[in-house]
Amino acid sequence: MTANEIRLDRVGKSFGKTEVIPELTAEIAAGEFTVILGPSGCGKSTLLNMIAGLERVSRGRIFIGEQEVQDVEPKDRGCAMVFQNYALYPHMSVAGNIGYSLKVARVPRPDRERRVRAAAESVGLSGSLERRPSELSGGQRQRVAIARAIVREPQVLLFDEPLSNLDAQLRHDMRMELNGLHVRIGATTVFVTHDQVEAMTLADRVLILNKGRVEQFASPHEIYHRPATTFVAGFIGTPAMNLIDVIGDGKCLRLADGTEVAPHGRTGPAVLGIRPERIGIGNGAIASEVIYREDLGSHTSLVVRLGGGTEINVATPIGTELADLDRFNLSFSENGLHLFDAANGLRL
Amino acid sequence: MIEKSAAIDRTATVLLLLGMAFVLAPLVIAFVTATQSYQQFVQAGGIRFRIGGHFLDNIRLIVTETQLPRQLWNSFVISLLVAAIKCAFAFAATFALVFFDSRMNRAIFAVTIATVMLPLELVVITTYQIVANVLMPVNWFVEATGLDWLAGSIAGVRVPELRLSLLDTHIGVAAPIATSCTSVFIYRQFFLTLPRDLPRSAAMDGAGPLHFMVDILLPLSWTPLIATFMFWFIGGWTSYLWPLIAASTPDAQPAVVGLAKLATTDPERIPNVPMLMTGALFVSIIPVTLIAVMQRQIVRGMNLSEK
Repeated sequence: MTANEIRLDRVGKSFGKTEVIPELTAEIAAGEFTVILGPSGCGKSTLLNMIAGLERVSRGRIFIGEQEVQDVEPKDRGCAMVFQNYALYPHMSVAGNIGYSLKVARVPRPDRERRVRAAAESVGLSGSLERRPSELSGGQRQRVAIARAIVREPQVLLFDEPLSNLDAQLRHDMRMELNGLHVRIGATTVFVTHDQVEAMTLADRVLILNKGRVEQFASPHEIYHRPATTFVAGFIGTPAMNLIDVIGDGKCLRLADGTEVAPHGRTGPAVLGIRPERIGIGNGAIASEVIYREDLGSHTSLVVRLGGGTEINVATPIGTELADLDRFNLSFSENGLHLFDAANGLRL
Repeated sequence: MIEKSAAIDRTATVLLLLGMAFVLAPLVIAFVTATQSYQQFVQAGGIRFRIGGHFLDNIRLIVTETQLPRQLWNSFVISLLVAAIKCAFAFAATFALVFFDSRMNRAIFAVTIATVMLPLELVVITTYQIVANVLMPVNWFVEATGLDWLAGSIAGVRVPELRLSLLDTHIGVAAPIATSCTSVFIYRQFFLTLPRDLPRSAAMDGAGPLHFMVDILLPLSWTPLIATFMFWFIGGWTSYLWPLIAASTPDAQPAVVGLAKLATTDPERIPNVPMLMTGALFVSIIPVTLIAVMQRQIVRGMNLSEK
């Protein structure tokens, strides 16, 4: 199957006076699995709908392959979409649902039946072709929706939060299957979600969207280890990265009350990011007071207050027994530090 | 709220029985009278609660001596037309209102409501004029645009005044009755219960609006469509004033009008009330059968929340 790249060139969308996406430029490589990740209301579904053609762009251009598509009908864009609530046709059988697009396109019946069977087989639905959607479980309906999308052999596959209605186990299984499917059919895939686990596990690259702006567009590894902004740092990881206001004096970074936390050449205010698991307990010079502790069996999770009143999360390494104390001295592991500009939140 | 108590049960039963008696009494009187012969009726000097043995004779009289069998057919065709036109227009209009985002939607909806508030009885004279010559607007157009004058000065012939009367035809009787969009409200409520992504999913599958309407919306809407169809069929069957005006010959009149005409054939004689009652029962037989057969569909179609 051929795949096409998607280019978004200064795309913008407004609903009346509300600006959902101010101006967005991004390029999704052919055959790439891209996840658009962001909190609800960040414009990620709007962006997906604009690629699909279900929503018109207010400004800018969209290219799929060589074709400029922002004024092209959805059916002529070579896209297929899987919806959050599946949106299956309740009165049609599974085969009817999968084959409807081919029927509309007047594909001859024998050819149609062959392709419907092939699509159903690739998602493991061969046995239930004659059943109605109402007779299927949530996971099976999801499979029908996916088969319906791939039967036309689209160059671009779009997913709008497709796993959010499934339970945790099924979600895990479907993630594995989606991954396998993507490898098999190789279509350029854009997957919208607000679940960072889905984003980190499925994506070749993750596009993190906040208020219609791209915060970072990079591989999951890069996003986790080198977050480009404080928003990304605070959004990715459970629990999220601690963000601490610090002041640099040219030699080291200090908390508001003057406690020295890490050596650094920065002068002036900055935001220091450190993940809870990169904080050493009991061996440093940073005094802290325990506010809340949770023993999770594998490790202990603490909320502590630093001098100056900042509260941060700390996680012990797996398998450590933690003394039952009210105060600990902490140390910040030097290669786990991220520094951001205090004014605009960009990585320094 | 569902209460269960013997006292409430008993009271409810009594109330329902009273209501049934109230509703059914005229029917029972009609049926009893229909079994009497004209002689029995005249001798008794009015309606008496006495079952005679002449029901079949009366039926025979209706079938052979009156126009009712033919008029029953007229009623059937007219009611079918009324119901079909109403459902088709309301369905298409609701489809446009619900699935297309237009700035005109409010105006269109207002016009729709206006048809509900302007019953045929209010505009009966103008409606008559239009049905008497449906090409009248064309004549106006020819006159107003000066086409008439143009043809006169160039070719030397005047455009002839066009005439096409639909009086005494089935469609002429049915169409004005069908111009109301009450079903739009019912369909709208139903369409709004459908998944929001359904039309989007159809658009991704390459189905245009018409494909979506015919392939997806129509099969899903059978229940409300059938229920409203039944309602409008019976509404067309029982309508009286307009058919009385629009159909002047007995051959074209629907059964309800024909029935009323039977009563006033000869002012000198005592009317043949048993025959009239038999005729009334005869005329009701089709709508009653329909309701009996379709009961379940009607209830299901009206009760949208239980879908």
